Amino acid sequence: MSAQLLLFQVLNGVGIGMIYFLLSVGLTLIFGLMRFVNFAHGAFYLVAAYIAYAVVIWTGSFWWALLLGPAIVAVLALVIERLLLRHTYSLPHEAQILITFAVALFLQEMVILIFTPLGHNVPVPPALSGVLFLGPYVYPAYRLAVVGVAALVAIMLWIAIERTKMGSILRAGSESAEMVGLLGINVDRVFMATFALGAALAGLAGVLVAPLRGVEPFMSAEALGIAFVVVVVGGLGTLSGALVGGILIGLVQSIMSTLWPEGAQLMIYASMALVILIRPTGLLGRI
Amino acid sequence: MMDRRRVLTGVAAAPLVLAAPAFIRRANAQSVVDVAGVYSLSGTFANVGSGLNDGSKWAIEQYGSAAGNKLNYVLLDDRGDAGEAVRKVQEAMTQRGIKHVIGCTNSAIALAVQKEVYARKGIYINEAGADEVTGKDCNKSSFRWPVACYSAVNATVRPLIDKFPKAKRWYTITGQYVFGDSLLSNCKDVFKEKGIEHVGNSYHSLSDREYSGYIATAMAQSPDVLAICNFGNQTLDVVRQAISYGMKRNTKILAVWSTGLDQFQALGPENCEDIYFGANFWHGVDTPGSRRVAEIVKQKTGDVPNYLQACGYAVSQILIEGINKANSTDVPAIVKALEGLSYEGPTGTEMIRPEDHQVVKDYYLMLGKAKGAMKDKNDLCDVVAATKALPPPEKTGCQMAASL
Repeated sequence: MSAQLLLFQVLNGVGIGMIYFLLSVGLTLIFGLMRFVNFAHGAFYLVAAYIAYAVVIWTGSFWWALLLGPAIVAVLALVIERLLLRHTYSLPHEAQILITFAVALFLQEMVILIFTPLGHNVPVPPALSGVLFLGPYVYPAYRLAVVGVAALVAIMLWIAIERTKMGSILRAGSESAEMVGLLGINVDRVFMATFALGAALAGLAGVLVAPLRGVEPFMSAEALGIAFVVVVVGGLGTLSGALVGGILIGLVQSIMSTLWPEGAQLMIYASMALVILIRPTGLLGRI
Repeated sequence: MMDRRRVLTGVAAAPLVLAAPAFIRRANAQSVVDVAGVYSLSGTFANVGSGLNDGSKWAIEQYGSAAGNKLNYVLLDDRGDAGEAVRKVQEAMTQRGIKHVIGCTNSAIALAVQKEVYARKGIYINEAGADEVTGKDCNKSSFRWPVACYSAVNATVRPLIDKFPKAKRWYTITGQYVFGDSLLSNCKDVFKEKGIEHVGNSYHSLSDREYSGYIATAMAQSPDVLAICNFGNQTLDVVRQAISYGMKRNTKILAVWSTGLDQFQALGPENCEDIYFGANFWHGVDTPGSRRVAEIVKQKTGDVPNYLQACGYAVSQILIEGINKANSTDVPAIVKALEGLSYEGPTGTEMIRPEDHQVVKDYYLMLGKAKGAMKDKNDLCDVVAATKALPPPEKTGCQMAASL
C-alpha cells in the first residue's frame, strides 16, 4: 500500500468512524444511565431512515427529513418506553434483550408492510452532491458533512453532559439512580428523556446514512451489530468511549479494505475480541 | 302390475343409480399437485425471495392446472439458510409426498436443494446463477431458468470491451461466496482472452455494507472499468458508494448481474445514469411470453413486472409446460418432456438444452439513462445488447446420468 493510499484510508477510516460514533452514541447513553440493553436501537435507526425516504418523496426536501426523522423517532421511543419498557427495568438483562428484540422485529415488519421489502433510494441533497479533491483521491462532500454533524453532536453532547445541570443529573443517575431519586429528582422522567434522546440520536444516524446507503428493511441488523462493537470497544456507557471506539473500528475497516479486503469485516470483530482480552471494560470504560 | 323379472332388474340397477353421483363427481374432480416453492422471506436476501415467491405463486394461479391436475402452491420459507432449505424440502418430500419443487433465493441454497431433490427423485426448477448448477453439480432432476455466470459475464463484459476497446484496465469488487467467485472466474477468463489487464480485485464478506475502503483501493489502481461481481443489495451499495466517490468521472461501472427494474428503482435515476448493468429480464422487451407475465403482474400490482417476479414466474412456467407436454405429473416423464422443449418464455422463445438442463435465453447489457430522457418512471435503462452466450455443453463440466 502506497503512503498516499494509506493516508487516504486513514482519513476515510476517521470518516467511517464518525458515522459509527453517531450510530452507537445513543446506545451507550441509554446503557450508561439506565443500565438498559436496547436491542431496538437498530430499529429506531431503520424507522428514521424510512421516514427520511418518505419525507424526501413527499416534500422533496432532505432538510425536513433531517428535522422530522429524529423527532418522530424520539416520540415513538417515548411511547414505547412509557407503555412497555418502563416495566422491564427491574428485569434481568436477558428479558430486556428479548423484549427490545421483539420491538425491533415488530418495527421491521411494519416497515416491510408499509414500504415493501425492496430497497429505495434517498438522493443526496443537491447542495452536498459534489466531491472534494484530495490529491488523486476524492471525498464526497455529503460524507464530509455527515462527519461534521457527528463532530458537532459529540461536542454538544459533551457540553450537555459535562457542563449543564441536566448533565450532572444524568451522570449522578448513572452512578446511583436511587440516590438521585432520594434528592427529589423524578428519575422516571430522566430515564424517559434519556431513552428518547438515545433513540433520536439513532434516528439522526438513520437519516444521515440513508443517502449514503439507501434504505432497505434489513439495514438495522448491521447497524445494531456495529453499534454494539463500538460500544464494547470504547467502553459501555461512556461518550468518549463511543467516539474512540467508532474511530478505531472505522480505521481498522478502512485500512484492512486495502491490506486484506476479504478479512476487513472479520477484523472489526477480531479488534473487539482483542480489546475484551486486554481490557474487558473497553478502552475508556470504567472498572 | 310388476312382474318378478322387472323387480329383480330394478333391484340390480338400484346400486348403480345410487352410486352414479359418486362416479360423476370422481370423473369431474381434478387431482391436486402440490408445487413447493423454496424462498427466503426473511434474512439478508428476503427482498429478493419475496419478489421471486410472488412470481412463482402468481404463475401457478394464472395457469391454475396442468395436464388436468389442479396446481397448489406450497411455500417453504428457508430464512436465507441453505441448511434450513434442505430440512424443509426433506420434510415436504417425505411427509407430504411433494415431488415438484421450484425456486431458490441464492446459488448456495439451490446447490443444496438440487442434490436433495435429485436424491429423492423429484424435479427441481430453479433460478440460481452459479455455473455449477448446470455444470459440475448438474443432475437429471434439475433445470435452471436464468443464465449462468458464464453467460452473464460473456453477455456484458465482452460487449463492453468491444464498445470501449481502449478501456484496458479492469478492477473487480466481488462478494466472497459461490456466486461472486463464479462471476469473477468467468471475468478473468474473458480478460485473459481479450488481453485485458485485471489490475486488482477486492473480495468482501456478505455482511459488509461499507465499501468506501474497497473503492479507495480500486481508485488507487486507476482502472478504466470497475466490474461488480455480486448481486442483491450489496451491488447497489457498491454502485452508490462508487458514484459518491466520483468514480463515474473517469471509470465505467458495470454491475455484471443485477435484478433489473427493482434495483434500478432502488438506485434512483440519479445513480443509474451511465452505469452498465447485466439483467436476465427487461419489461420493455415485448414478446408473447412477456405479455403473459405482464398481464398477471399488472393484475396483482398495477405495475410492470420486474426481474424477480418474471424469474419466479418462469420457473413455475417451465414446470407447468413440462407437465402439459408430458401429460403426466410423473417426474421422469416431465424430465423427458422438458429436454429440448421450446416455449414462449418471459424473454421470447426459450429452449431447454438437454445436455445440461440450462434454458437458452437472452441476457441483456443495459445502460442507465438520464432522468430527463425517461419516458415513464420505469424507463430507467436502455438495452444495449441482447446475447445468448452459453458455453458449449461439453465445456460446462456437466455429466448427467441417462435417466433418473
